[in-house]
Amino acid sequence: MSGVGPVEPGEGTHVQDVPPAPRLRRGAAARYAEEHRRAVAGAFLVVAVLAGGGSLYVTRPRSEPPPVPPYPNQVTAVEYLYPQVTDAESTPRSFTFAVEVTTESGPPVTVVRISQPYAGLSVTSSPRTPFRTKSGSPRKITLTMRVTECGKVPRNAGLPFLDVTLRNTRAMQAHSFILGPQYAQDLSRALQVACSNDSR
Amino acid sequence: MRQRSLIAITAALAAGALTLTACGSRDDDGGGSSDSGNGGTTVVIGVDAPMTGDLSALGLGIKNSVDLAAKTANKDKYVEGVTFKIEALDDQGQASVGQQNATKLVANDDVLGVVGPLNSSVGEAMQKVFDTAKLVEVSPANTNPALTQGVKWQTEKVRPYKSYFRTATTDAIQGPFAAQYVFNEAKKKKVFVIDDKKTYGAGLAATFTEEFKKLGGEVVGTEHINPDSKDFNAVATKVKNSGADVVYYGGEYPQAGPLSKQIKEAGAKIPLVGGDGIYSADFIKLSGAAGTGDLATSVGAPVEELPSAKEFVANYKAAGYKEAFEAYGGYSYDSAWAIIEAVKKVVEDNDGKLPDDARAKVVDAMQNVSFDGVTGKVSFDEFGDATNKQLTVYSVKDGNWATVKSGTFTG
Repeated sequence: MSGVGPVEPGEGTHVQDVPPAPRLRRGAAARYAEEHRRAVAGAFLVVAVLAGGGSLYVTRPRSEPPPVPPYPNQVTAVEYLYPQVTDAESTPRSFTFAVEVTTESGPPVTVVRISQPYAGLSVTSSPRTPFRTKSGSPRKITLTMRVTECGKVPRNAGLPFLDVTLRNTRAMQAHSFILGPQYAQDLSRALQVACSNDSR
Repeated sequence: MRQRSLIAITAALAAGALTLTACGSRDDDGGGSSDSGNGGTTVVIGVDAPMTGDLSALGLGIKNSVDLAAKTANKDKYVEGVTFKIEALDDQGQASVGQQNATKLVANDDVLGVVGPLNSSVGEAMQKVFDTAKLVEVSPANTNPALTQGVKWQTEKVRPYKSYFRTATTDAIQGPFAAQYVFNEAKKKKVFVIDDKKTYGAGLAATFTEEFKKLGGEVVGTEHINPDSKDFNAVATKVKNSGADVVYYGGEYPQAGPLSKQIKEAGAKIPLVGGDGIYSADFIKLSGAAGTGDLATSVGAPVEELPSAKEFVANYKAAGYKEAFEAYGGYSYDSAWAIIEAVKKVVEDNDGKLPDDARAKVVDAMQNVSFDGVTGKVSFDEFGDATNKQLTVYSVKDGNWATVKSGTFTG
């Protein structure tokens, strides 16, 4: 069999076909046999403990690793709301729009920067960047745009967009949000007003 | 005695633990094999795409991705009592062949939905055939706005066919997005516009041109090429002499690759920009080293940004398809899955069986389909267009397409 003999019989059981071993054997040969038996049994114990422990380790209940957060541009939406009335006298060539920033899922997203691509137009936001948006809590953001050079702003672009830099625990990304035809119309109208005032 | 007892207990524990491990392994494997079949009803998803010819790389990616969706649904027994199969037909990129394929698919009563085609011109030819038969069609790649919003889409949007849907973003967004990038960020002000005269190419070139002009850009030349030709030296010379600092090409990679190469060989070291039709590894092969710096916009977000896309990529690889899934693989999988979702809804609403008017019911169900797909949230607006409208600018860098910038249409 295994060379280490049968597992210890339980009470009231006997190995019938093997004559009982002498209870005590004396002499060098007997001592050697006893030591050999102990050594082998010890080795078996170590192997069994390692095997058992290893198996238990492998099959231990493990908590799932936390899911990798999504990229911020895949969970963030920026939607155009409406133009806001501004005091044209105190802020000439400026106009204001409201947008809503929503984080749809995952960890909070920080809006690091908001810009727009036209050379003759600058934009600031309220709240000022950087600001955070949490999942399930959309934030209304006011964007104030100021025309710095009328010759460098298109008056009737079809699909103007905002460039927004987003950051979460996964990554920092620049993403364009194309706010749609209503934003395009309102932006064109505001630019025409701002620059027609300029030419008066 | 104590020692022996310890051995016995340890051995028993080890044996038990090994048994548990083995049980765990069996559970992890899950049940069912690929395409084992649910028995019951067979539903066929038709596929129409170019599977031979210049555009076969894209077409075979579409076919394989639909096949993967059908196999996944079968493996998961996603629709109780229904086994999905695909019937794939080659349209060779030709509108007339596509129309014949549409007729064939309509004639097969088991077909409850069709994924395809690749080309907008082919889609145009198929729409009426499918609509008459109330057979739903979901294109993963058609981008011409007129297919969903009518020929007067710029002034008056009218949906021409109730049975037509698409998962790809339209050129009404793609063209202007490219124009904004080229003008504002690449700082190119003089463009030479070329197209292949086809529905997709001419339409895309037109939406690009309109926005580029509105931004203040100058169109210094326009040309049309013959898509059957590969010799564009005359056009390349015109580009060189025009003083353009960028070329916009409305068309597909089999022509765009050689066109880019010949423009550079003519001495105009300026980038060629195109749409999703040139966003293919084959464009890079055809344009050669001179194509470095060329740009393409494509529909959707880069695959590496979407966890759901990663799973698709892994499953596609594991399925062992010979051809790459290419630009429209994710959209094709989502198109097929939209059909599967619609079939599921129809079956569940009819006590687990397909109704007699299953095709019409699937068209109705498609309008309300909504699920998290490979390319993000999949659902359709009142025109049959995808509600998820993402775009990405790619640039040729070190022999590959590298992501430059992504955008989302939220209007």
